[in-house]
Amino acid sequence: MEPFALNYARPAAELEATTPYVYDSGLQLNVLFDGRIAARDHGLMRELGTTTSTAGSKTHFDD
Amino acid sequence: MTVLILTSEEDVTADMVVVHLNATGVPVVRLDPADLTGRVALSGEFVHGAFRGHLSSGGRLVSIDGLRSIWVRRPGVPAARAAAPSAWLTEEASQALYGMLRGCGARWMNHPDAARRARHKPWQLRLAQRCGLPVPATLITTFPQAAREFADRYPDLVVKPVSGAHPQDPPRAVPTSRVAPDTDFSAVAFGPTLLQRRVAKRADIRLTVVGERMLAARKAVAEDADPDAVDVRFAQSTAPWRPVEVPPRVAAAVRAYLSDAELAYGAFDFAEDADGMWWFLECNQSGQFGFVEVDTGQPIALSVAEWLARPGPQPRARVNGVDSAVR
Repeated sequence: MEPFALNYARPAAELEATTPYVYDSGLQLNVLFDGRIAARDHGLMRELGTTTSTAGSKTHFDD
Repeated sequence: MTVLILTSEEDVTADMVVVHLNATGVPVVRLDPADLTGRVALSGEFVHGAFRGHLSSGGRLVSIDGLRSIWVRRPGVPAARAAAPSAWLTEEASQALYGMLRGCGARWMNHPDAARRARHKPWQLRLAQRCGLPVPATLITTFPQAAREFADRYPDLVVKPVSGAHPQDPPRAVPTSRVAPDTDFSAVAFGPTLLQRRVAKRADIRLTVVGERMLAARKAVAEDADPDAVDVRFAQSTAPWRPVEVPPRVAAAVRAYLSDAELAYGAFDFAEDADGMWWFLECNQSGQFGFVEVDTGQPIALSVAEWLARPGPQPRARVNGVDSAVR
């Protein structure tokens, strides 16, 4: 009784539970543990996949 | 005047924009509607024919009439993290917040009415057709027989969710997937099913449009790529995204699409075939862009920041998304 499309579903790949940055409400930015701004580290962004087109899939329609 | 960003704290893609706004000294207030009644508060007064409204978050207080633009990025469900969350409280919080914001003159990226309409894939496909973009033959149906007949006409098919959403109970991903010609389509009766002729692509195209600015990126399909891995989001590929020029006819059609859709921002997905034609797959009105900028170095975050920072409110929006966009 499952819809047809779900025959092609696979377990969702969860992002790493911990990211090496934390939100700073004063700066309104995520900050690495060494104090640098996470968004400026493009290498890290690529590695973590937190800006990829599946990063928001859990809560948002638009990737 | 202030830029209001509605998004979650962990949204590092939004951070990329905030960095640019900070560099130019444009005031920013960033908040997540999920924090309403906790870390986020609001107040609006309608007295003697005037409105005075305020939002506060993280020690910042901003006048709603002092907003120059509103970026709806990845906002949480209103009041989802309240002390006593409920569906009723979410609706109350949503109506209070978005109701007040709708009344202000700020420019939206994107207006909630336009955004809601633009999420509907059947609507997207029809609009893309009307604007002159090539659209692969597509069927959305709950009739198994219609699916079988479509598969007879187009034996090389893919299936994808109509909504683009992924089921959460349990969490699963539903990538665009190839459908074998001899597939049993009887389960089509249990849910609307979107079948589409597969485009034999030599590259994926992500065209990010910010206001009038178009930034396209191309990811080539490797010659030894798995032919069943049709969804670029889930494919194992080390090929980077590279900047690419937008063909003039595509640019004109995309401009018409965004104008009709009343969107200030859109992330278009195309499949490039062997003849170089760009086939429209979808337009995500809040599509991710960080991964493209990281690979290509294209100034997408800067473009968003510049759009948000433009001075001056726009004329008042009307109902039902009419004139709700975006100059």
